Amino acid sequence: MTEKPTLSVKDLRVGSPFTELLHGISFDIAAGERVGLIGESGSGKSLTATSVMGLLPETLTATGTVSLNGADADLLTAGERRLNQLRGNTMAMVFQEPMTALNPLMRVGAQVAEIMTVHHPDRGRRQARQRAVELLAQVKLPNPAETALAFPHQLSGGQRQRVMLAMAMANDPQLLLCDEPTTALDVTVQAEVLKLIGNLVTDRGTALLLITHDIAVVAEVCQRVLVMYQGDIVEDGPVGRVLTAPQHPYTQKLIAASDLSSVDDRGRLHTMSMPVISTPGAAQSSPGPIQADAAAALTVPPHRAAHQRLEPDGPPVIFNEATGAPAISVRGLSRQYRRRGGGLFAPAPIVHGLREVSFDVAEGQRFGIVGESGSGKSTLMRILCALDQPSSGTVNVLGQSIDGASERQLRNFRSQVQIVFQDPMGSLDPRMRVRDIVAEPLRQVSRAEALARVEAQLAAVGLDADVMHRHPHQFSGGQRQRISIARALITRPRVLVADEAVSALDVSVRAQVLNLLADLVDEYQLTLVFVSHDLGVIRHLCDTVAVISDGRIVECGPTASVYDRPLHPYTQQLVSATPSMHELARRVTS
Amino acid sequence: MVLVVLRRMGVFATTVVVASIVTFLMLSILPGNAARIALGVQATEADVAAQATAMGLDRPAVVRYLDWFGRVLIGDFGTSTVSRQAIGPEITDALGITVILVLTSVVLALLFAIPFGILTAVRQRKPDGAILSGISQIGVAVPGFLAGMLLVTVFAVTFRWLPAGGWVDPGENFKEFLEHLILPAIALGSVQGAVLSRYVRSSVLEVMREDFIRTARAKGLGAGRALFRHGLRNAAVPVMTVLGLQIATLLVGAVVIERVFSIPGLGSLLLDKVALRDLPAVQGIVLVLVVFVLALNFLVDLAFTLIDPRLRSAA
Repeated sequence: MTEKPTLSVKDLRVGSPFTELLHGISFDIAAGERVGLIGESGSGKSLTATSVMGLLPETLTATGTVSLNGADADLLTAGERRLNQLRGNTMAMVFQEPMTALNPLMRVGAQVAEIMTVHHPDRGRRQARQRAVELLAQVKLPNPAETALAFPHQLSGGQRQRVMLAMAMANDPQLLLCDEPTTALDVTVQAEVLKLIGNLVTDRGTALLLITHDIAVVAEVCQRVLVMYQGDIVEDGPVGRVLTAPQHPYTQKLIAASDLSSVDDRGRLHTMSMPVISTPGAAQSSPGPIQADAAAALTVPPHRAAHQRLEPDGPPVIFNEATGAPAISVRGLSRQYRRRGGGLFAPAPIVHGLREVSFDVAEGQRFGIVGESGSGKSTLMRILCALDQPSSGTVNVLGQSIDGASERQLRNFRSQVQIVFQDPMGSLDPRMRVRDIVAEPLRQVSRAEALARVEAQLAAVGLDADVMHRHPHQFSGGQRQRISIARALITRPRVLVADEAVSALDVSVRAQVLNLLADLVDEYQLTLVFVSHDLGVIRHLCDTVAVISDGRIVECGPTASVYDRPLHPYTQQLVSATPSMHELARRVTS
Repeated sequence: MVLVVLRRMGVFATTVVVASIVTFLMLSILPGNAARIALGVQATEADVAAQATAMGLDRPAVVRYLDWFGRVLIGDFGTSTVSRQAIGPEITDALGITVILVLTSVVLALLFAIPFGILTAVRQRKPDGAILSGISQIGVAVPGFLAGMLLVTVFAVTFRWLPAGGWVDPGENFKEFLEHLILPAIALGSVQGAVLSRYVRSSVLEVMREDFIRTARAKGLGAGRALFRHGLRNAAVPVMTVLGLQIATLLVGAVVIERVFSIPGLGSLLLDKVALRDLPAVQGIVLVLVVFVLALNFLVDLAFTLIDPRLRSAA
C-alpha cells in the first residue's frame, strides 16, 4: 500500500501585490522522511515554511495547495480555527532565534506545558507540567525539574533551542519544521542540537523539513535535499547524490563555493558568478605599496609557528613566539570585568574575560583566532585594536605599547591598525555617503586627494567609482563588506584585524570576500588577525591559528597541523564538529 | 529578589534626603527674609533681628537644615509664620485629598488607556481603529484645565447632575464624596489616559511583531489568545515606564485642577501659602510633593521587578 505523503505542496506561489516571491514550488514529504531545504538568503526558504504553517505576514498572499496527510482540505484556504488545531499539534515549528522566540516573562516549563493544555484542555494543568519536565529531560536538559522553573534569560542559546524542540515535539506532531535551528549557535552546540533533532524525529517517525543555508547541516540530518534559488526549487534529490553529483548549475556552484578546502589553479576559492559592480581584485588600478618596502619585506624569512598546546595545570605558554620584532606581541594578558550588582555588601563578582594570554604575531603572518561565543576572542580583538584596556599584562603592536597609552599616543597606531567588523549593516553609518565613510579615517589630506584615494581604494575592492555618492542601504551585504574593507585599507595600515568579517554573508558572497581579503593581504603585505568562530574560513585564509577557549589560548600552531593533528581535547571537539565537504560526502554516501 | 527590593529602598531613601537638601537650599537662596515677612514691612530692624533669633534664623544653614529635616522626619513641619499654627496637620489633611484625587485619576486613566490602546493596536488596519486612534490623538492635545471647565459646564451647570466644585470627606458622606470626586478625577485623568493609550497602542503593536508571539501562534494559539497570554505582560513594561514619568505631570495637573474645582488639596494649599509668603509652609509642602512623586516612582520600580524576571536577579 502506498502511503499518502505527510506534507504535500503543489504549485505554491507567494507574492505581494507587486512581486511574486515563490514561483509555484511543489514537493512532497513522506511520513518520517527527513528533508532539507537549502538556499541563500532571500531565496524563499522561510516563506515556504511560514506558508505551510499559515503564518505568512498579512501583506503576502499564497496560492496553490498545501495539504497534510493527503487530507482534501487545503491549508491555504482553511479557516483560522482549523489551522489553530493543526499548529503545534499535527505540525510544529522551531525558529532560528533562540534569544527572542521564547516569552521572556514566562517560565520555560510553563511554555512547554502550554502547548499541551492548548490542544488537550481535558488533560489537567498539573499533568501537563509533569509531562513538560519529562520532555525537557528528553531533550537532554540538565536538572529538568529545575530548568522547567527557569526563565529564558537564565538559559544559554543551545538550552533555549532545546526548550523550543521540547515544545515542538510535545504533542508528537507528524511534521516538524525547523527554520535555521542551529544558525545562531556555536559549532559544538550546533552539532549536539542537530544530533538531538535527528534522534527525536527518527525515534518518533516524525517527518522533518529542515531549512538552512548550510550544506553541512543538511548532510548531518537529512535524507533528501531541496535546493532553492530565487523562489524556485532547482534541485531535489538524495543528499549523497546532490553533494557528490549536483545536476543543476546553481547547485554545482553552491557546493563548490561552500567547499573552503578546494581551490582553483590560482589558489582561489570557487565563487559563483553573481552580479558585482566590477571585477574584484583589480590590482592594477590601485596604488600598491612602495617597491622598496616590498623588497625589504621579501628578504625577511617567513616565520613558522611551533605547534603547542596548553597543558592542564601547566605553566602559561608563549604561543607562536617570534624572534626579532614581531608585529604583535602579547604577554601575560588578562582582562577581568566586574559584573554589575552583587550583594548589598558583598563585592561584585568578577568575570574573567582573558587569563594569562601570551603570543606573538610575526610581520606578514596571517593569524587566525578561533573560538566560540564567550571564549574571550572578541575581548582579545578589542584590546589588540586598543578599543579596550587590559587588566594586567603587556600588549605591543608595531612597537607601540597599548596598555595605558593615551588616545593622543595612539593616533599613529590608529592609522596603522585597522578593523573590519562583522555586521556589514551596523558598522556603516546609514546617513553617510560611501565616499565619506571610506575617506573618514584619512587625516590632513585635501578633499581632492581624499576623493582620488577613495576612488582608487574602491576600485581595489572591486567597486566602481559611481558607488561613491550612494548610501550603505543601497548595497548588498557583500558589497557593504567591501566598503568596510576599503575604509580599513585607505590609511595603508600594516595590521588588519577582521572580526567575523564573513560570518554574516551568504556562501557565494563569502567566497568572493575571502578571495578579495587574501589578494589584498598579499598586495599590501598586511599582517592579518582574523577572528572567527568558523574553522573552515580560518583554515582557508590563515597560515597560523590559535584556538581560544574560556579566556585562554589552548592550542596554537600552523593551520594545517592544528587541523590535521589537534592536540587539545577542545580543538579535537571543534574540528570534529565542523567536517569538511569531502568528509561530509564520505559520511553521507557510506 | 529581596536584595533588589532592599537596594531600591536604599535608593529611594537617598533620593528623599537629596530632595530635602535641594528644597531647603532653593527656599533659603530665594530673596526675602522670613523674619521680616512674619512681622510685616513696618517692623524695625531690631524687631526683625530679634524675631530672626527667635525663629533660629541666625544659626548656620547646616544646623537649620538638620533641625528642619530632623523634625520633618517625626512629622513636625514647624509653625506657620503667618497663622502661627502647626503646619503639619494642614499638610496631612491636604495630602490625603490630593492622594485620593491623583490615584483615582491614575486608575481612571489606566481603565481607559489599556482597553482603548489594545483596541486601536489590534484594529490598526481597520477603519474603526484609525478613527479611535484619531480620537485619542485629539485627547492628547486637550489641556487638563480646559477638560475640567468643559466637564463643569456640561455636567454641573447645564445638567446639574454633579456639583461644580468643593470637597466632602469620605467619612462624612460617601455618596457626596464620590459626586465631588468624579469630575475632577476625570478632568485630571482624561489627558493622561489619552497619552497613555498612545503608548499602550505602540507597545502592543511592537509586541505583536515579536518572535515569541509567532512562537505562540505556531503552538496553536489564536491571534487574540497569543496576544493576551504572551503579549500584554510584555507590552506592560514600556507602558509602566511612561506611567512613572507621567506621575510628576499628574501632580502639576492636580495643582491646576484643584483650583478649577476649589478642592482643598496640596495644590490649593501650596498656592495659598505662596501668596501669603509663608516660607516654612511652602518648604514643607514642596518636600511632601517631591516625596510623593518619588514614592509613586518607587512603587512603579517595584512593579517592574514583579513583571520582569530579568530585573529580579541582582546582576
